[in-house]
Amino acid sequence: MDESWLNEFRKDPPADWAESLRVRLQETETPDISPDLSSRRPFRRLIPALAGIVLAVGIVSIPAVRASAVSFLALFRVVNFVAVPVDSGRLRALNDSHLDLERLIGDHVQVLVDSGPPRSMASTSEAEAVAGFQLKMPGWLPPDTRIIETAVIGERAAQVTADSKRLEEVLDTLGISDLRMPAGLDGHTVTVRVPPIVMVRFESGGRSPRRTRFFQAPSPEITMPAGVDSSVLGEIGLRVLGVPKDTARQFAAAMDWNTTLIVPIPPTAQSFRQVEIGGKPAVAISYQPPDESPTTMLLWSSGGRVFGMQSIQSYEQVIAMADSVR
Amino acid sequence: MTAAPDWDAVYRAELPRVYNFFRYRLGDVPEVEDLTSRTFEKAWRARDRYRSDIAGFATWLLSIARNVAIDHIRARRMHLPLELAVDVPSQSITPEDAMLQGSDAERLASLLATLPEREREVMALKYGAGMTNRAIARATGLTESNIGTILHRTVQTLRDRWERRE
Repeated sequence: MDESWLNEFRKDPPADWAESLRVRLQETETPDISPDLSSRRPFRRLIPALAGIVLAVGIVSIPAVRASAVSFLALFRVVNFVAVPVDSGRLRALNDSHLDLERLIGDHVQVLVDSGPPRSMASTSEAEAVAGFQLKMPGWLPPDTRIIETAVIGERAAQVTADSKRLEEVLDTLGISDLRMPAGLDGHTVTVRVPPIVMVRFESGGRSPRRTRFFQAPSPEITMPAGVDSSVLGEIGLRVLGVPKDTARQFAAAMDWNTTLIVPIPPTAQSFRQVEIGGKPAVAISYQPPDESPTTMLLWSSGGRVFGMQSIQSYEQVIAMADSVR
Repeated sequence: MTAAPDWDAVYRAELPRVYNFFRYRLGDVPEVEDLTSRTFEKAWRARDRYRSDIAGFATWLLSIARNVAIDHIRARRMHLPLELAVDVPSQSITPEDAMLQGSDAERLASLLATLPEREREVMALKYGAGMTNRAIARATGLTESNIGTILHRTVQTLRDRWERRE
């Protein structure tokens, strides 16, 4: 039976529009699910240094535990964020050193679960199904705001084996001679599990769209053998970040390293402050990438979940959006 | 080793399918280009997932288009300005009137506009996007025989109206 009449409504897309869309898509990259803190200007140059610092701190100190006769493994989960400004001299020393921090770290990392690249989702419902948890979303958004992208990066897990000698090379490079890695650290393994992360990108406005990226994930979990002096390791981590000697010692002794994640604040950040989001402690970082709008990055944790919000909306609006997340 | 897909070729092949899906789904409306763009922008970022399965990519692309269309229809319902009601003429032109007045394309568009949502979506996937019954079944969650039945009845209904005009 002739069905050609059913094709009467088909037509070719306008050529100039098709070409402009093609060009625009060519410029589209795989979704960038990482907050600007780790992937974009002005932080790009800090990646190796921060990776090294976070690892040096992370391997042995952030989730550090108190000795326990009954538990072999201790578990770290993020409850609090504490901002620590990174000393620019420290970064220069690391950048100028001959230490290949990524290689130094990579030699001792065994990837247990590889998430693969971030995956774009057709809807937040699809993201929930893929990530395996129900999304919490802002109850308030600036006028005319819509979702323009949703992406998920799958679960990742890795096992890191501590190597005191190499980590002490970092201390030596930074001229930290009064602290040494605790004895018996060598060979201990730390397992890091990062659950799936969901990123929802919002856009508001017309010709000059203002975009917000909202991240959420169950808290990362880090397990490591008990018996390590948490305050000593924490102190080493803080010193690596450039915190002065006395301050680092007091800070390390007072902090609960089982639940507190250190957020290194690069020197390029214009300001940072400790705030409250939904009654929970949060870190708000302000910075302005070259040729881009002033940006606010918020990090907080609530109900076992870690949230990040990065936006060029006004600071007050970003706080209001974050405060309305339910 | 699998050669990298020619994404330009994929784009050239898939753009008309998505574009015409929206035409059949929503009519000759100005939003068709915007909705097509939105669909590709969502899919393009994740295209590497389909490096070895271009057929899977095409089906996934249409599933995104379906969701984009659904969101658009919902938003259109929610945001239809009240003042538009003032401009509605008391003797508005019915789809049937439009069919009698216009070109074949306009006539078909008018007839498609009279279909229930489900039938219109299936017609858009079949004749706008050029999908097979099996692919439509996969995309919609209906059985292939169900799709066949819906298409048969819908085409028959449209044919009757189309021929009645002649």
